[in-house]
Amino acid sequence: MSEIAYKLSQLRYRYPGSRFELEIDSMEIASARIIALVGPNGAGKTTLLMILGLLQKPGAGRIEFFGADPWKNNRVMESRREVVLVTHHPYLFRGTVFDNLKFGLKVRGAGENEWETRVREALAMVELSGFEKKSVSELSAGQAQRVALARAIILKPRVLLLDEPTANIDAGMSNRIEAMINNEVNSQAKTTIILSTHNFSQAFRLAGEVVYFSDGKRVPYSHENFFSGTAQSDGKISWIEPKPGVKIVFPGVRQGRVTVVVSPYKIRVFSKEQVDFSDSPNQFEGTVTRLELADGGQALVRLSGELNLRINLSMEEIDKKNIALSRQILVRFPPEAVEVIE
Amino acid sequence: MIFRELLQAIAVSLKTSGGAAAFASVMAVPLALFLSSREFRGKRLVLLINQTWMAAPTVVIGLLLYFLLSRNGPLGAFGMLYTQSAMAIGQVILILPLVLGFAYTALRQVDARARITALSLGASPRQAGWVVIKEAAFPLLVAVLAGFARAISEIGVAMMLGGNIRGYTRNITTAIALESSKGEFFNGVVLGAILLGLTLGVNLLVNVGVRSRD
Repeated sequence: MSEIAYKLSQLRYRYPGSRFELEIDSMEIASARIIALVGPNGAGKTTLLMILGLLQKPGAGRIEFFGADPWKNNRVMESRREVVLVTHHPYLFRGTVFDNLKFGLKVRGAGENEWETRVREALAMVELSGFEKKSVSELSAGQAQRVALARAIILKPRVLLLDEPTANIDAGMSNRIEAMINNEVNSQAKTTIILSTHNFSQAFRLAGEVVYFSDGKRVPYSHENFFSGTAQSDGKISWIEPKPGVKIVFPGVRQGRVTVVVSPYKIRVFSKEQVDFSDSPNQFEGTVTRLELADGGQALVRLSGELNLRINLSMEEIDKKNIALSRQILVRFPPEAVEVIE
Repeated sequence: MIFRELLQAIAVSLKTSGGAAAFASVMAVPLALFLSSREFRGKRLVLLINQTWMAAPTVVIGLLLYFLLSRNGPLGAFGMLYTQSAMAIGQVILILPLVLGFAYTALRQVDARARITALSLGASPRQAGWVVIKEAAFPLLVAVLAGFARAISEIGVAMMLGGNIRGYTRNITTAIALESSKGEFFNGVVLGAILLGLTLGVNLLVNVGVRSRD
């Protein structure tokens, strides 16, 4: 049985002055695996990565890192040197690519004679050989992201945390970076990799386990509520029509073929008589075709109609809104609840 | 005013004001780093007091220190009144809020990811703080320069705590005051030009340094 890299229990974290709370009752991450965290913006993926990177102390609950609580007995500095986080928009220090790559080696006290060789090897892994003397101000966004990745890999950490690792990288390079993460970093070096991504296919391609987050909570992953279509835009918002006349609106400007997912936790339900939101986007009518009890006092509702949707509601809401099998209901979700995944 | 006296006044100005700027920076930058990276109750009050202190007239600071350092004052036993050290101490107190205020603004403007990235790469909190300081190197240099400029151009502290002793505590600004009171306005203007030239020279040196780094 493989070692446990992280064990989280009753973990809570709330940003000061924010209503958002990360709540993880229980979660274990085995070492030497690749785990993908997926979920919409604001789901808590980055906050969790900060906590796993030991850069943020949980507000409550316990985190164990390779069997010990890093926040006890002043172990945090020591533990932090075994895990590296590469942020979504990585920050490169002023200076050259070499200055950036040597930073972690220097603070760890690695001998100067090692620096050059290790920098060269790390840059070769991200296909940036010869970039040592380049100023970071000359790098493109994609190159900067690869330098940040190299700056983490060079340290050979036990855990590598990647927040949207290929967000700024073109498709071809992204595939090669994925292969490098998979082969050299995970399979050969046995580094535990935890990555957050919006890209579902990347998550399933790379990860042995996909963990879905919504509203700060770990939620069961569902293959439902996925819709594809050709995106159109008015310059402010975009939409697809998965069926003629059925329009799913989402923020931002997108063109071409896209797949979107609607979080089952962000769909609001109304009885047909209750309200008329005819002008609102993403409002659909349908019949409840399935109603079952799910984990955590939640009910799972399946709706058939203009769109077939899976909806997660609290039991209170089911009672309050008198939702029952075969009932006609209205559902609505804000454009922000729609996540473009590909 | 003879040439030798002029050189002595320039040397006193550079020594006391340069020392004051260096000492104030050593105190102000870590304090600014602390203030910029932490939120605590009363922080706004600290910043407000600092901003108010920035506007303190030099003679008021000179007067307060005069009482402290004079023979019958609480620190009179040290015999520091009318010394270059007293001038430097007064100038440190005068420019500390200015350097602190500028340094705080400079450090607040550093991307929050700089510290997080350094910590994630294994830096200790002190090493991460040093990274933040290095990222704000140029605006911090401006803060130090502003402090130096304020110190070298002030007269209240230098006059009250230095006493304008020829060849010992007479600096450029007290020499200008003396020359003007004697009716030697031309000498005063020349000394003023020298003061501006010195400040310009220091600024140019720093700007050249900044450009070569960019």
